[in-house]
Amino acid sequence: MAALEITGLVKRYGDFTAVDGISLSVPEGEFFGLLGPNGAGKTTTINSIVGLSRITAGSIRLFGLDVERDWRPARRTVGLAPQEYNFDRYLNIRDILLYQAGYYGLSGPAIRRRADDLLERFGLTSKAKQVYTRLSGGMKRRLTIARALMHEPKLLILDEPTAGVDVELRLELWAFLREMNRAGTTIILTTHYLEEAEELCARIGIIEAGRLVALETTRKLIGERSLQDVFLELTRR
Amino acid sequence: MIVAADRRPNFTGFLTIVKREMVRTFAIINQVIWPPVIQTVLYVFVFGLALGSRIPSVQGVSYSQFLIPGLIMLQVIDQTYGEGSSTVFQGRFQNAIQELLIAPLSAFELVMGYVVAGIARAWFLALLITALGAIFVHTAPVDWGMYALTVTLVGVLFSSLGIICGLFAEKFDHIALLTTFFITPLVFVGGVFTPAAFLPPLVRAISLWNPMFYMINAFRYSYTHTVDVSLALSLGIVGALTAISFAGALWLTSIGFKLRT
Repeated sequence: MAALEITGLVKRYGDFTAVDGISLSVPEGEFFGLLGPNGAGKTTTINSIVGLSRITAGSIRLFGLDVERDWRPARRTVGLAPQEYNFDRYLNIRDILLYQAGYYGLSGPAIRRRADDLLERFGLTSKAKQVYTRLSGGMKRRLTIARALMHEPKLLILDEPTAGVDVELRLELWAFLREMNRAGTTIILTTHYLEEAEELCARIGIIEAGRLVALETTRKLIGERSLQDVFLELTRR
Repeated sequence: MIVAADRRPNFTGFLTIVKREMVRTFAIINQVIWPPVIQTVLYVFVFGLALGSRIPSVQGVSYSQFLIPGLIMLQVIDQTYGEGSSTVFQGRFQNAIQELLIAPLSAFELVMGYVVAGIARAWFLALLITALGAIFVHTAPVDWGMYALTVTLVGVLFSSLGIICGLFAEKFDHIALLTTFFITPLVFVGGVFTPAAFLPPLVRAISLWNPMFYMINAFRYSYTHTVDVSLALSLGIVGALTAISFAGALWLTSIGFKLRT
């Protein structure tokens, strides 16, 4: 079954068409890269998948569940690590994870253990009682991913997960994401770091001006060239 | 595969919102609990005990005792509106509300979470001021059923109105607009400080168009067992306004107004 099935997705804001008829399918277990220049429609597509944007036309299915008709079970399958920090400033780091699980209907000792495990896994245990504003940029990035994993989603969407983090942490996050993917989690990644997509993604889709201009395995897409050359060729306006 | 549990209402999610709002209330206790309590004490001392000692009796009780239920309503209205409006507005502008919007929570669960938290804040504040009234001016409710009903209805009404304004507002100033130019003036002339019988006929006729008048009238009944206008009419008006306000908040949330792009 496809983890994500987008069919003819259109998203308009008044006269402006942000996404113009995108169709793509991401099989379960895949590490998929969604690339495109700023304003191409990547975040709008992601927002449509997770329910932050209303779909103008077309449909989106997550593990066979329509995100509008079957929104409740569909939302349980997906975790989002957004580009912008949107943490609750009234909660400490550990509570951010616990409350996130609560919003998904989860509570109890197993959830508290999971929060502690994720804090440990992301090196945030010593900061558990602090508010997020006191974390470094890299720690905030780690926290967005830890939070997205609290309800054990089968599909993890990462919108620019390594923006603004140092090389060491980027490599650490790459290792973690590979491990997650090997363990069966489907991952969709958007990034402006083309080497990141090249390194991690089995398949890549490139969006330009709301349209899908390439959808191919990373190896085939690049061929003998670099991803940067292919990207610039496809997205040059 | 869809399991039946996936489609069930998310009661834990709703409770988590209520808990989060309570955490928020106590995190900003110096803004939302202590100021109304201190303000009430000042009203009681300045208006009630100092000036009120010159007024013989109002509706069968001393002026200070007459003041207490009106002051409770004043603060309950102000603070429940503040709860709904500021939490939704802040959530929108700091994007933290996105955590709730991508979770498996219905519009009803979301609105109920905020409203129940508003009711909790209303009750907490009402009971605190009730205790102050008992200590300083020796007055207490005689009809706890009416007390509970009015505090709860007014809590739902103004939490919902707060949610609506929190959704419409583009800056904090917009939230203050309604408080400054509508809620506070209407509450002040709605019978907090004077019974309708004290007002000139024209002002009394005008005050019958003031919705706050009916809220204060119904709530004061729980203390004095006397009313300015029919209790049934007061409860009917408060109930109808509560239903309209809640339905408005629910509808705007369900269409994702200024929440989902």
